[in-house]
Order: sequence, then structure tokens, then C-alpha cells
Amino acid sequence: MSLAAEAFVSQMAAAEPWPESATLYQPLKEDQILLSDCASSLAVQAYLRMCGLPVQVVCRANAEYMSPSGKIPFIHVGNQVVSELGPIVQFTKAKGHSLSEGLDDVQRAEMKAYMELVNNMLLTAELYIQWCDDPTAAEISRPRYSSPYSWPLSNILAYQKQWEVRRKMNAIGWGGKTLEQVYEDVSQCCQALSQRLGTQPYFFNKQPTELDALVFGHLFTILTTRLTSTELAERIKSYSNLLSFCRRIEQTYFENKSS
Amino acid sequence: MWFCVFQKYNADYDLSAKEGADSLAFISLLEEKLKPALIYTFWVEPKNYVDVTRRWYAEHLPFPLNFFLPGRMQRRRLETLQLLRGDQSLEAGDELEKELYRDAAECMNLLSQRLGSQKFFFGDSPSSLDAYVFGHLAPVLKSKLPNGKLQQHLKSLDNLSNFCSNVLLLYFPRDGRGGAGPKASSAPAPDAGDFDHVPNKRRSAAVRAGGAGRHAGPLLTGIVSVQHVQRDALEAPPPLLDRQTLGNHDDDDEDGDG
Repeated sequence: MSLAAEAFVSQMAAAEPWPESATLYQPLKEDQILLSDCASSLAVQAYLRMCGLPVQVVCRANAEYMSPSGKIPFIHVGNQVVSELGPIVQFTKAKGHSLSEGLDDVQRAEMKAYMELVNNMLLTAELYIQWCDDPTAAEISRPRYSSPYSWPLSNILAYQKQWEVRRKMNAIGWGGKTLEQVYEDVSQCCQALSQRLGTQPYFFNKQPTELDALVFGHLFTILTTRLTSTELAERIKSYSNLLSFCRRIEQTYFENKSS
Repeated sequence: MWFCVFQKYNADYDLSAKEGADSLAFISLLEEKLKPALIYTFWVEPKNYVDVTRRWYAEHLPFPLNFFLPGRMQRRRLETLQLLRGDQSLEAGDELEKELYRDAAECMNLLSQRLGSQKFFFGDSPSSLDAYVFGHLAPVLKSKLPNGKLQQHLKSLDNLSNFCSNVLLLYFPRDGRGGAGPKASSAPAPDAGDFDHVPNKRRSAAVRAGGAGRHAGPLLTGIVSVQHVQRDALEAPPPLLDRQTLGNHDDDDEDGDG
């Protein structure tokens, strides 16, 4: 979002309370959505639940194109549309809901740094595995991504997306990595997260913050998504405190709703 | 860097597990928030690129590379920036500059908050995070750029500026005197040249600094690898931004390796 637009949105956001009719858009859950998008969407859902803000999840095949930044997920609140976790956190803050107010400066710096760690390593690894690993791309990513469309549009869109992601990987230096190296990076990232979490219930002790939502979104999705190999999930399972962290958040924020 | 680790030089030896994790996190923060702004400042912003970066490279590359190599590197950087931002039609402009600088300013503020009043990020002895932060911030602090907004913001953060000057003084004593080190050519004012001039002398200074102890390991490799590549001008030395002191970063062929 440009700076002017952001300032405008913040001003408008502050004016109205959170409505009951807020919706979150993501691609089709059963057939279309991919690992990275699912993780980002779950992170936002977890964050909104932690704030106690109601939101309905709506699945649309063209969610990616509806989004203002092209990224999933995005929320439609009142007459504003905001995408990605960062801007959504700012948006809810403007409305008076924030999870990180109790943190001091050093903790806030650490929280932001760890969120970038997850984006830099986990999200990039997910994108790599989905689109740069040929078996996964051929068996899972391309068919799923293009499932709502008929031939030849399906082929064109799927290969276009793959080409885009591969270019980006090359630009950031991940193009030359092997799958094994990517798994190592994921392990390293999980080790850092595990060490930071320690034996605490959440990353900043008693209360969850947006970092907890983000980590939960990614780890839970990786653990529960079927890929061509289980290596990624196995790497995460070796950190027991991260597993119990995911379980705790799932039980606290996601199982209440269904009961 | 791995050579030093294998030789049992490791600046992160004394870090606790949590501090090691914090290192990784802050390095990711730098990569995501600061690096795009640095690429913009040195390579995309028109005044800076024409007056400083291109001029410096053109003067130090041999004929005929000096005619087309800087332009090629510039196009590469712009493309990287476009891919990072996910916007193919990105061009240099006020709005992009404001957004990038805002992210970079936030990143610098966070680093400043984390550093506090300590000498280094994790206590009294430096670690790889210190080398990494220094490597990214020092060019911003020392270069004389026409459009120096980033520099102004960095200078307003006293503890970070002192941190950079401190590291310069400790490990690069010749440059510590405010860029009064010997200059091999009559290059124009910019101190960006400081890091790249007289590579031989700088290298021996770096080697001396490196011999001073294991903590200098990553600093040594971080800076020496720049010297190595800088000396080999034919390999088109990467700007100071591309290398990582925790290299597992594969740069493209002609941009040299970090």
C-alpha cells in the first residue's frame, strides 16, 4: 500500500468499530489453496481470533486477483480492503485492538525481527518447495493452482506463476539451493524459534502476540499438509515445544468455536 | 567465513542459544527491511547512482568494461528490487523512496532499541551480528551521497553511529580517523571509495586485525572477502551490500561471490 493510501485507511479505520460482517477471502480450501497461502491465511485468522474479532472465511477461486496487493489473504471490513498480516495488524491497531501494547521497546524489536525471520526463511522455504521442486510442482502445486480454470488457461496460469516464483527465488539467492539445503534452513529457523520460545506458553510469556499467530499459521499448516515427502513436517516435529505450542493455540482459539 | 569456523575462529562461540536465535532473527530483519533501501540508495536513486556509484565503478574498472558494466549492474539491481517488491513496473520515484526509507528507518530504530547502550549487540565482545550490521550500516554512514536521507536518519541514532565508528576505529584503524586514509587515486569526495581504495593496504590492516583474536574472524572474512573481490575488478566487485558475512547467499555470476 502506498503511504498516502495507508494514512487514509488508518484514518477511516479509526472512525468505525469492527463490524460483525467482516470477511476474510482466500482461495478454495479443498482444491486450490497452496501451502504458503494457507499458512498466511491461518496466521491472519489466528491473529483475529486472538484479538477477539469475529471474521467469516470466504473461499473464492480468484481471491489472489481480488487482493489489493496480489497476496493472500485479504480482509474486507466495512468499506476497506486490507491484505497481508502486517497491514492487517496496523489496521486493527488503528481500530484500537492490539496484542503487542504491553511489550517494551526491546521486546517489540525482537518480535518484529522474529516475524521477519519467519517470513524470510519459513515462507520462502514453503514457496521454494512448492514451485522450485519439480516433483512437488508437477504433482501438487500446478494442478491445484489451476484447478478452477479450464485448459489452456490452467496451463498458462500455472506456468506463469511458477516462472514468477522461480525468478524471485533467483533474485534473493535461493535459486541455487538444493532441497536438502532448504530443509536445513527450515531446521535452523525452527531451532531459533524453539530456543526463543523455551518453556514459555507464548513467545512473550503470558499473552500471545502477532508473532505467535504467524508462527502458528506456518507450523500448523506444514504439519497438517500432505506433500510429496514428509521431510518438512518431520523437521518440525523434532522440536517438542513447538508442537505443544501449536496444539495449545489450536485448542485455545480454534476448538472453542466448533464446540 | 566457514574457513574461519573450521579453523576454530568463531565469533558466535560465546553466545547463548537464545542469542544465537536472536542473531538469525535480526539478520532476517536487515535482509527484508534494510537491504532493499540500500540497493535503492546506491543503485536506483538517480542522483546517487550517477554522481557516486557509477562514477566510482567507471573509474576503477578497466577499459572497456567501464562503459557497460555499471549500467548492467544497475539494471540487475533494479530488477532485484522489482522482484522483491513484487511489482514489475517499479521505477525510481518519490513514493517508492518514501516507502523503502520508511521501512529502513524502522529497521534502524529497532536495531538501535536492541543495541541500547551496550558496546556490541551481545555484550562486550562482537559477534557475527555485529559484523553484519556494521557491514550494512557503515557505507550509509560514511558515503557522501547527494541524496542522504538514510544517512541523516542513521546519524540521528547516536548509539548506532557510535557503534559503527567504534568498530571502524577498533578494526580498521586507518579509516577510523574519519576517512583520512591514503587514497590511491584522486577519486571524488565520496567516502564510499574509502572502503574500496587501496585494497592491498586495507587487506593487510584487516589481516592484522584478524590476527588479534578469534572474535575478529567474521569481521575479517566479511571485509576481506570484499577486498578480494574488489581487487579483482574484472569480476565486477559487488557493491558492499551484496555480500553477507554469514554467506549462504549465492549471487549471480558476474556480480562476484559474497
